Amino acid sequence: MNPSLPRREFLRTSTALIALPFLDSLGFRRLASAASRDRASARPKRMIFLGFGWGVTQESWYPSMEEKGRNYQLPAGLEPLAAHRNDFTIVQGLQNRYTNNGHYGSTFWLTGANEFGEPGQSFHNSISVDQVAAAHLGQETRFDSLVLDCGAAARPSGHGLGLSLSWDRSGKPMSGPKNPVEAFHRLFAKDTTPMEQQQAMLAQRRSVLDQALENARELQRGLSKTDKDKLDEYFQGIRDIETRLSREEKWLGVPRPVPPISEPKPDLLGYEEIQLMYDIMLAAFQTDSTRVVTYRQPVSTLLTSLEVRIDAHTMSHYPGKGPEYLEASEKRDQAQSRLLAHLLGKLKAAREPDGSSLFDHTTVVYGSNIRTGHLLDNCPTLIAGRGAGVKLGQNVVVPKDTPLCNAWLALLQGSGVSVDRHGDSTGVLKELLA
Amino acid sequence: MAKPFSQFGGVCVAGLAVLSSLSVSGDAAEPKPRAVLAERHRKLLEEHCQGCHGAEKQKGKFRLDDLPLGIGDVATAERWQKVLNAMNSGEMPPEEEKQPDRQRKADFLEELSQVMVVARKALADQHGVIAMRRLNRREYRNTLRELLGVEVDVSELPADTGGSGFDTVGAGLFLTSTQFEQYEAIGREALEMAFSAQVPSSKERKLRVEMESRLPIFDKRHQEGLGARDRANAWIQAVDAAAARPENAAKVAELRKIAQTDDALRYHWKKIPGAPNPTEFGFVKESEVNPAIVYLYRNHVEFIRYDEYYRTLPRLDTGGYLTSQSRVGGGNNVMALFGFPIPLHFPAGEYTVRVRVAAVPGVPEARHFLELCMGSSMPALSLHHITGTMEQPQVLEIPFTLTKANVDRGSRNLFIRERGANDGKSDQRLKEAQVRNGFGPEVALWVDWMEIEERRVPPAPGIRALTIPLEDRGAGVAPQPLRAALEQFVVEAYRGVSAPAGMVDRVLGIYAARQKLGDGHREALKHALAAVLSSPRFLFRAEPSENGEHRPLTGLELATRLSYFLQGGPPDDALRAAATRGELLRPEGLRAQTERLLNSPESVRFVRPFVTQWLGLDRLDLFQFSKALYPRFDDAMRSAAREEVLETYAYLLRENAPLTDLLRADYVVTNALLAEYYGLSGVRGDAFRKVLLPAGSPRGGLLGMAAILAMGSNGQRTNPVERGAWVLRKLLHEPPPPAPANVPEIARLAGKALTTRERLQAHQEEPQCASCHRKIDPIGFGLENFDAAGQWRTKDTYQGLDAAGKPDPKVRKTWTIEASATLHKGPSFKDYFELKEIVAGRRESFARGFTSALIEYALGRPCGFSDDALVDGIVRKTASEAFAARSFIHALVQSKPFQSK
Repeated sequence: MNPSLPRREFLRTSTALIALPFLDSLGFRRLASAASRDRASARPKRMIFLGFGWGVTQESWYPSMEEKGRNYQLPAGLEPLAAHRNDFTIVQGLQNRYTNNGHYGSTFWLTGANEFGEPGQSFHNSISVDQVAAAHLGQETRFDSLVLDCGAAARPSGHGLGLSLSWDRSGKPMSGPKNPVEAFHRLFAKDTTPMEQQQAMLAQRRSVLDQALENARELQRGLSKTDKDKLDEYFQGIRDIETRLSREEKWLGVPRPVPPISEPKPDLLGYEEIQLMYDIMLAAFQTDSTRVVTYRQPVSTLLTSLEVRIDAHTMSHYPGKGPEYLEASEKRDQAQSRLLAHLLGKLKAAREPDGSSLFDHTTVVYGSNIRTGHLLDNCPTLIAGRGAGVKLGQNVVVPKDTPLCNAWLALLQGSGVSVDRHGDSTGVLKELLA
Repeated sequence: MAKPFSQFGGVCVAGLAVLSSLSVSGDAAEPKPRAVLAERHRKLLEEHCQGCHGAEKQKGKFRLDDLPLGIGDVATAERWQKVLNAMNSGEMPPEEEKQPDRQRKADFLEELSQVMVVARKALADQHGVIAMRRLNRREYRNTLRELLGVEVDVSELPADTGGSGFDTVGAGLFLTSTQFEQYEAIGREALEMAFSAQVPSSKERKLRVEMESRLPIFDKRHQEGLGARDRANAWIQAVDAAAARPENAAKVAELRKIAQTDDALRYHWKKIPGAPNPTEFGFVKESEVNPAIVYLYRNHVEFIRYDEYYRTLPRLDTGGYLTSQSRVGGGNNVMALFGFPIPLHFPAGEYTVRVRVAAVPGVPEARHFLELCMGSSMPALSLHHITGTMEQPQVLEIPFTLTKANVDRGSRNLFIRERGANDGKSDQRLKEAQVRNGFGPEVALWVDWMEIEERRVPPAPGIRALTIPLEDRGAGVAPQPLRAALEQFVVEAYRGVSAPAGMVDRVLGIYAARQKLGDGHREALKHALAAVLSSPRFLFRAEPSENGEHRPLTGLELATRLSYFLQGGPPDDALRAAATRGELLRPEGLRAQTERLLNSPESVRFVRPFVTQWLGLDRLDLFQFSKALYPRFDDAMRSAAREEVLETYAYLLRENAPLTDLLRADYVVTNALLAEYYGLSGVRGDAFRKVLLPAGSPRGGLLGMAAILAMGSNGQRTNPVERGAWVLRKLLHEPPPPAPANVPEIARLAGKALTTRERLQAHQEEPQCASCHRKIDPIGFGLENFDAAGQWRTKDTYQGLDAAGKPDPKVRKTWTIEASATLHKGPSFKDYFELKEIVAGRRESFARGFTSALIEYALGRPCGFSDDALVDGIVRKTASEAFAARSFIHALVQSKPFQSK
């Protein structure tokens, strides 16, 4: 990117996702709501990605590989999901071929990148599937995506490097609300400032950003290539804000939606925290505030809230330990499945204006890059929701070591995102298609 | 040097041909790979793999015969990674095929995993290029403190420590749009705090509270407690009297069927005509349905006896004692915590807290510790050993920062309490003491008074630069002084570099625009200055170099690099002046400034982050230590154990003592608390100081430190693998490869009654485990005499659990610890002491590992193979100076890479 281009021009050239005809915010809203009334299939597609770090109990979470298809016995770890068994599919045999770090449950889970892929760099990552989706599905909402995280609990929860599940188009970690209260405020905080003043402040904000860009350009002149690359992050950061400001401008005067839930209590950790985050995701969809959500869930505090006194990492190595470790691991699976059942139930119960349910238009991905311990093959993968036209109620077994990214590609395409590859994908995971 | 271990330090891997490296400029025409697998391994592949993955057949589209033994690019690395993964997971060779000899397979896997580490390191080598990097979270906080004199809350910013390297390494320091906005917000907040601190306060900000002022409250509560006991008994008598009335006999008989005891019967008082409501006796509403509340006051009368004991103590007229908390209440509960709310008009800023306090004789020394805390149940801010006597009490002086976060959250309650007062064991202590003396724990600390006083500090350079009013004034500020003030502020913010052309105009533009929006002078100025604090020249440490050539740093650039290295913050006035005078560009001038920075108390901002990250000390916080198994290793002890590591390095640096004292020493650096843990007598007070060890002590050096040993545990049991790997990584500079993915865990021994050694023996059975564990485990065995909390032991017990999670007596084994072992391809040792000697003999490897870490930390990039010459030079130089701690710093600072872009 040539930073000497004027900013406005930049907005036109590289943020194609802000479709220009929609810049008239009123016209845009008319258009969007008209479309929504048309027919069920035109309801917007949505995606949720839930990552749970330290994997699962392999003996009791996976259905038997022998029982492919519909008629499989629901294993104990998925038992709390019994009511939904026809509405989710387990995929077995997927992996990220480049991931070799047994402590990275989330770093490359949605990206499929090679940590060592760039010579001269000790770490490399690329865009995550949710951000690919957000660029397409997120154009008409106030937020193109909602990136949720568990903050300080992430490190002992086996997620590995990163600030959330999401990585932006330059492969940089993205951050977002780290607890239910922050998430709630992000979505529903009321701005009572008069419209005129909001406009003036936006203009002022722009001018501050222009100054910042100018300062960066001044510095850039004397820099070497490597340093320029680093400074590019600064440029990009500012441009991302500008893109967001343009979006805010479009939404200026559109009042924040009335939250369908009350403000969460602060300081809840573990089980209740995850459940609240799920409720907030649902609220985000119900108010159409965003259509793409990721959540890096806590495991360490989940255990604490379940009164398990074993630390999460040791628990994940239960095979070499005593029975209490196995028990802790299974308790974790049960709790996570109960939470997911709660979310799926809510998605099914939430009605769209046309009488269909949110579940009919949403894809829920639930999994981790880690199976158990340091095992990184046959990554636990559960897909629910009818948003991407995936066949549900199945125990799908794919050839060993099929790229996870093939599944992500199938979900992207099924959700109407026209891309032909993602990460290290070698094609669409056909086994998922109905 | 002796050769107790296989020789694969960072430079040379056993069985590895080391070829010439890329030249430093990075323009070598034909780079030869550094990571090369020995030719002899080709044979194993030919015999066991190439039948299916060779020229004729390529099962799974994977071919091995054309795979070069030298790994020089990412694609080749990926193919070898696949080989390693398939063999580690046991997937290849397939089960039904002939398997390689176990020893041979283990050797092959050991070498391949090492070569992969070398390959990854070589491929990631930055060849000396130090990319411009932003301030990390810690440096950013320090920089704002030095510039504005305020302490900001940076917890919302990413921690920068998530990567495998140091938080100074540029590759891990990203900058996103969210962060940019956080910088803006934090900058404005910092300015707000700094501006507020400049408002002259007419009143002196000081508050002292005398402990004896609590005595009337004590007496009142005591009387209430007595009264409550009487009221409880009165209500009980009244209900019993009603129940005894003849006309209620049938009713009571009916109730007796479900309520056998008198206490149970009174739960049904409403059904007994004439029984009074407990609320009429002064009890809370809930007692109507739950008379247990009433019974509490009847049963737990110990508080009364405890109060009576307290009343007999001397010196209650001029002070008071910190008591244990008793159940239900009484006056003593008022005395358990002493403190006060910091007055609302005290702004965020720097304060001094003082406490006049004495140790009461006649109780164990371990109780003469006092904690300062914010909020009664919050963790302690600091812990103090009380050495003052009743005759000569001492005055503690504790520096205290009231943060913006404290102010915003309204947390202003400052307390002192006896150490461990909120460890949840008050009841237990109370009971134990009552059995002994009939009233409760004897008091241990007498307090005269406690006070807080604002610490006036001279305005920081950033504020000094603003030679204009900071508050709104009617007339406003004239343009010329405003411009001059901004220019000077920019110089301070940019660490001595003047504002580039146009910069001040842009900042003035923001000032004007804010005023147009309706802001007053103060608010507009804040926004304008915040723009400086989120500009790239502030956030990044820029060292412009047009064509990317390595050029010598300018004096100011060198000052900045030196200062962030040794103080974690911007250069101070003296350093900038030395740079401007050109002194820094001369070796002796640079050396003098380095010495000055190392002598300064601010060098703690180098010692703490560097040592914490170098040795991986944050692992100490990963686990909760079992209170049942290790009652003495509580939070205070854990934190003292951590301090020991930091203080020991600080001591070496201060005294310029040999760094190799970390391998073996006849002394420890400790305070009273930890000395007691180590069984050393005669150490008093909170200050860490050198204490000579008695002969035969296992302490002295990192291997004997409680923190290091505790990190090699999970809070319950020791983890010999973690300990062994740590020693290889940190002391011997032979880091084992990262734990491989997809190696199945050995599950068959889980839950069996075996010794730790027997359990780990299973590692030797599978070649893919043995390839690493044969190096790691023996070292761990040698440290087994230390329990999970770092205490010396001679026996260990395994206690299995049954299905219900209860200890199963059938699965229990106790054994005498056997700490002898043989190092892989190395010598044998018969116990911990011999192991320690072997490790202590590897001084040069240790120095090399330390040097690599120091380079990475100081230069902000991984220490690659292209740094070999630099590492060699530093190790040689320091060896000639008996590895004196400061010589490492000087050798690095004086080196060309440190002084070049």
